[in-house]
Amino acid sequence: MVGAEQSVNGLLDDMAVKIMMIEPGDLSSVGELLEVLEQLTAHEDMASQAVLQRMACAFQAALQDLIMAELPDTAESYQQLAECISRMQEVKRNRDDQRAVAAFCSHLHSIGCRIDPAGLVAGQQGAAGAAGRDDNNDPAFLRDRELLECFIDEAGEYLASIEANVLELEKEPGNSEAVNAIFRAFHTIKGIAGSVSLPEISSLAHAVENLLDEVRSGRISMDADVIELVLAVDDSLKLMVAHVQDVSEHGVAYQPAPIDGQLALISSLLGGKCGSSRPAPDEASMPAKAPAGEEPPPSPPAAAGVPDFMKDSDLLSGFISEAFEHLETIELNVLELEQNPNDQEIINNIFRPFHTIKGVSGFLNLMTINRLAHATENLLDDVRNGKLAMNSGIIDIVLGVGDFLRTMIQNLSDVLEKGQEYYQQYDINDFLARIKICQEGSGAGLAEEPVQVVAAAPPVQETWAPRPAADPPAGEPPAPAMKTVEAGVAAAGPPQKKNIDAAIKVDINKLDGLVNAVGELVIMQTMVRHNPLIASLSDPKLNKDFSQLTRITTELQKTAMSMRMVPIRQTFQKMTRLVRDLSKKTGKLVNLVMDGEETEIDRNMVDSIYDPLVHMIRNSVDHGVQIPGERRKRGKPEAGTVRLSAYQKGGNIIIEIADDGEGLNTEKIRNKALERGLIQPGGSYSDHEINNLIFLPGFSTADKITDVSGRGVGMDVVKKGVEKLRGRVELQSTAGEGSLFLMHLPLTLAIIDGIVVGVGAERYIIPTIAIRESMRPKMENYNTVQGKGETLLVRDSLLPIIRLYHVFGVADACTDIGQGIAVVVENEGRQRALLVDELLGKQEVVIKSLGGYMKDIKGVAGGTILGDGRVGLILDLAGLISVSEEMGPGHLNRLNAIQE
Amino acid sequence: MANVDSAQSAGKKNVKALAGKYLTFDLGKEEYCIGILKVREIIGLMEITAVPHTPRYIKGVINLRGSVIPVLDLRSKFDMDPKEYTERTCIIVVEVKGESEAVLVGMIVDSVSEVLNIIEAEIEPPPTFGGDAVETDNFLGMAKIKGRVKILLDTDKVIGATGLGRLAMV
Repeated sequence: MVGAEQSVNGLLDDMAVKIMMIEPGDLSSVGELLEVLEQLTAHEDMASQAVLQRMACAFQAALQDLIMAELPDTAESYQQLAECISRMQEVKRNRDDQRAVAAFCSHLHSIGCRIDPAGLVAGQQGAAGAAGRDDNNDPAFLRDRELLECFIDEAGEYLASIEANVLELEKEPGNSEAVNAIFRAFHTIKGIAGSVSLPEISSLAHAVENLLDEVRSGRISMDADVIELVLAVDDSLKLMVAHVQDVSEHGVAYQPAPIDGQLALISSLLGGKCGSSRPAPDEASMPAKAPAGEEPPPSPPAAAGVPDFMKDSDLLSGFISEAFEHLETIELNVLELEQNPNDQEIINNIFRPFHTIKGVSGFLNLMTINRLAHATENLLDDVRNGKLAMNSGIIDIVLGVGDFLRTMIQNLSDVLEKGQEYYQQYDINDFLARIKICQEGSGAGLAEEPVQVVAAAPPVQETWAPRPAADPPAGEPPAPAMKTVEAGVAAAGPPQKKNIDAAIKVDINKLDGLVNAVGELVIMQTMVRHNPLIASLSDPKLNKDFSQLTRITTELQKTAMSMRMVPIRQTFQKMTRLVRDLSKKTGKLVNLVMDGEETEIDRNMVDSIYDPLVHMIRNSVDHGVQIPGERRKRGKPEAGTVRLSAYQKGGNIIIEIADDGEGLNTEKIRNKALERGLIQPGGSYSDHEINNLIFLPGFSTADKITDVSGRGVGMDVVKKGVEKLRGRVELQSTAGEGSLFLMHLPLTLAIIDGIVVGVGAERYIIPTIAIRESMRPKMENYNTVQGKGETLLVRDSLLPIIRLYHVFGVADACTDIGQGIAVVVENEGRQRALLVDELLGKQEVVIKSLGGYMKDIKGVAGGTILGDGRVGLILDLAGLISVSEEMGPGHLNRLNAIQE
Repeated sequence: MANVDSAQSAGKKNVKALAGKYLTFDLGKEEYCIGILKVREIIGLMEITAVPHTPRYIKGVINLRGSVIPVLDLRSKFDMDPKEYTERTCIIVVEVKGESEAVLVGMIVDSVSEVLNIIEAEIEPPPTFGGDAVETDNFLGMAKIKGRVKILLDTDKVIGATGLGRLAMV
C-alpha cells in the first residue's frame, strides 16, 4: 500500500517535483499528479490535518478543472499551482499557518479558481466549496450530476460483480480469472470515483487494488483473511455509494465515511504477508501506467513490436469494445464540428475520447495506438487553446486518425479471436508527420516553447471569452450563477444530450422471451374470448372486463415491443460521414438533410439496414447529384441535396432517400437492358418497369467503374437486403429532377402481417408484403405448356402456377383450378400464382422458429401459433419457388394418373 | 474375440453411470426407459401440424405453451408397424442435444407406465445383433427387472441432432 510507505511530506515533495515537469497541454502528467494527490488525500496521517486535507481537496478540484479545460492550461497556471504545493508544504510544517493558507488561496485565485480562505481554516463541510462554483457548499462530486449518476449506476454493477467473483474465489481459490475481474472492478471504481471527486471511495478502492495486485503477482496468497477484507470493503463501498446517491437525490448532507480502519487493515495485510523487504509497492503498481505519460515522439515503433498486450485478454477486449464506441463518438462529433468549427464543447467531446483511448492503450502497452492518440490529442488541445484554428485539414486528419485507429483496433480484435499471427504493425509516421506539420504550420511550434506561450496569451484569452464563467476576474459572485444557468440550458437544450435515466441492461434473450410470452398472452386472450361457451354469454360485466383486459394486454404488448426499439438516429448519422467522403471523392457538393431520426426500429434490424442504406446513398451521390458546373447550367443550386428521412406509416417504417439530381436515365437503362437481353426489342414497357431493372443483379449503366459504384452490385444488394427483412423497395424518378427510393420495412422482425390460407386441413401463412393480389382463376386464363407446365394469365402476364398442396404433399386439398384461389406472390422479381383452397383472413403473427433442428426446411420460414392454438407454418416464398422448380411441372402428370 | 471383450468392458464401465431413475413406456410389447432427467413433461396427444419435406417419422410440430417443437413417432422411427393412436397414446417431451444447444423434442409413444429406480446390478450392456437390422447404438443398455427386460434408450442418439442429421438434407 502506497500511503503507508510514503509519508505525507514525501507525497508533497513528489507533487512538487511533478508539477515542475508539467508542460502546458500535457494533461496526462496532470493525471499523474492527480494520482499522487489521491494518495495524499487518502493518507492516514491526513485525517488529523483537516486544513491540509481541505487544501489538498481544493487543489484537486483545481486540477480537475484544468483537465476539463475550465481553467486555462498554461505555464502560468502551473507556476501558480506549484506555488500552491509549496504553501501546502508550509502548512504541513507549521500546522495551520494562516498566512500560507491565504497565499494558497490567492494563488488559486490568480488562475481563476475561487476559494474561501476562511472555509479552508474553519473547516466547512467538504473542501468542495473551495473550488468556488457551488455557493451552497455542495460536496464536490455534485458538480457533474450526469457523471455522478453514471458513477452510481456503474459502481453498483461493479460492486455486485466483485461480490460474485469473491464468492466464486472462495470456492475456487486458485481462480486467477476471478482475481483479475475483481482487480479490474476496483480499478474502475477507483478511476471513476476519482473523476467525480469522491476521494474516500477512490482511495479505499485504490488500497484494495494494491492488495489484489500483490495477490495477482503471487506475493500474497488469497486466503480467508483477504477474502473477508475484500468483502468488507465491498460492503462499505456499497454503503458509501448508497450514501452518495442519497446525497445527490435527496439532498442529504454528505458525510465522508471513515475508511481509516479498513485502510489500516489492508496495509497490515500488505505489510504482514510480504515482509518489509519487498520493493516499494508504488513502483509495482505504477509501471503499467507509466507509458501513458511517456512523451510519444520520436521513438521508433519497434518498441511496440511484441504483442505483450495479449497477457490480459479480458482487459483488452474491454478496451476494444470501448474504443469502438469512442471512435464512433469522435466521428459524430467531428462531423458536427465541421458545421460549427468554433464550438468548444464539440472539441472537448472529441478530445475526451482520444484522451481515454490514449490512456487505456498506454496501460495495455499498445504503444502505436497510444502515440497516435496522444499526438492527435495534442493537436486537438492546440485547437482547444486557440493556438490553432480549426480547419478542414485538421478535421481530415482527425477523421483519418479515427479510421486508422479503428483499423488497428479491429486488427487487435482479430488477434484476440484468431491468434497472434494476425498481429500487424501499422505505420503511423505518416499521421504523426501530418499532425506535426499542422501544428507547426499554423501554430508556429507554440506547443514546444513555453516562452512563446506568454506572447500568445491574448488570443488564448479571446477564445475563452465566450465562456463567461471561466474568464471574468475571480471572486465575482454572478459568475458561478451564470455558469449553472449555462449548464442547465446545455443539459436541457440540445436533443442529442441524453439524460441518463435509471436503466438496466437486460439480456436480449430475456427480452425476446418477454415479447414472445406477451404475444402468446394476446393469442390466448382471443382464444378465451371466442370460446363458444363464453361468447354465448351476454353479461355486460363480462364484456366490460374483457375490453379492459384487451386494453391491458395491448398496452403490455406495446411496451414489450418498444423495449426492442431503438431510434434510427445512429444509423442515419453514419451516413453523414459517408456523404462527406463521397462528395470529396467525386468533387460534388452534397448536403445531407435528415428527417425523422427519432423514428424507432427493431434493434435487430439496425445492422441489416446499414448496407442497403449505404448503397442507396452512394447511388444518389454518385449517379444522382451532378457536378456543380452541370447543376449551374440546369439552374439548380450548386450543392445537391440528399434527403434521408424515416417515418412510420401504417404498420411499416418507411425510409426515403431522395436526391435532387439527374434522375434515372430511362433511355440508357432501356438500351443496356436490350443489350443484355433482359427485355424484348419492341416490347412495350412502362418507364417504371424499365427503371426497376436497376435492381437486377449486375445491372449497371455506368460507363466506367469508379471506386464508388458502377459494378451493378449496389441496387441488387439493396433489394436483397430489404427483402430479407421482409420489406420492399420502391423507386420513383423524374428525369432531370431527381429520384426517390422508398424502403418499406416492417416495424419489427418478430411479427409479420400475413394472410392465412387453407389447403386441405392445413393452414399456411403467406407474408402480406409478398402478395400482389388474389383471385378465383377463370378457366379461360388457364393454359398448359406442353401439357405440363401450368400458367395463369393475370393482367397480361403469364404466371407459372404452384399448387401448394402438391409441393407440400397435402391430402384432401382442392385440385380443381376453377374451385381454388390463386394468390399472386412475388419474390425477387419472380411472380407466381399459388393455388390454395381458401383465404381465411388477415392476421398479425408472431414468428417462431420451428424448434429443435427443423430450421432449414425449404419453403417454410417458421411457424406461428394461430388463434385456435394450432401451429401454422409461414411460407418462405423464395424456398417455395425453388422447391417447385426442382420438383418440375409434375402436377398434370400426377393429376392424370389420379384420373385414370 | 478381443473386440467383443473390449466392447463389453467398455459397456460395463458405462453401466455404472446408468443407474438412476427412469421413465418407462411401451411400444407394442416392448418396454423402453429414458432417464428421468431428460424428460421435460408428458402431454396427451394434441393436434400436430404437418411440416413438408421432412422424414416420414417426423409427425410435425406442436404448440407447447407458446413454443413450437417438433414431434416424431417413435414407432415409425424404429420402423415398427404403425398403430392407431388411442387415448393412452401420449407425447413425451424430452430435452436432447441439438446442433449447438439443447432442444425440446416430443416423441409419440403407445403409453407411459411408471418411474423406476434402476440399480447398477440390473443393467447390462446392449446385446449385439447380426447385421444392421437393429441399431444398438441407440441403446444404452438393457435392464432386467422382475423377469422383464426394459430397453434403456439413448435419446440424444435416437432423436438428437446426431441421430436425425439435418432434416433439411432429407
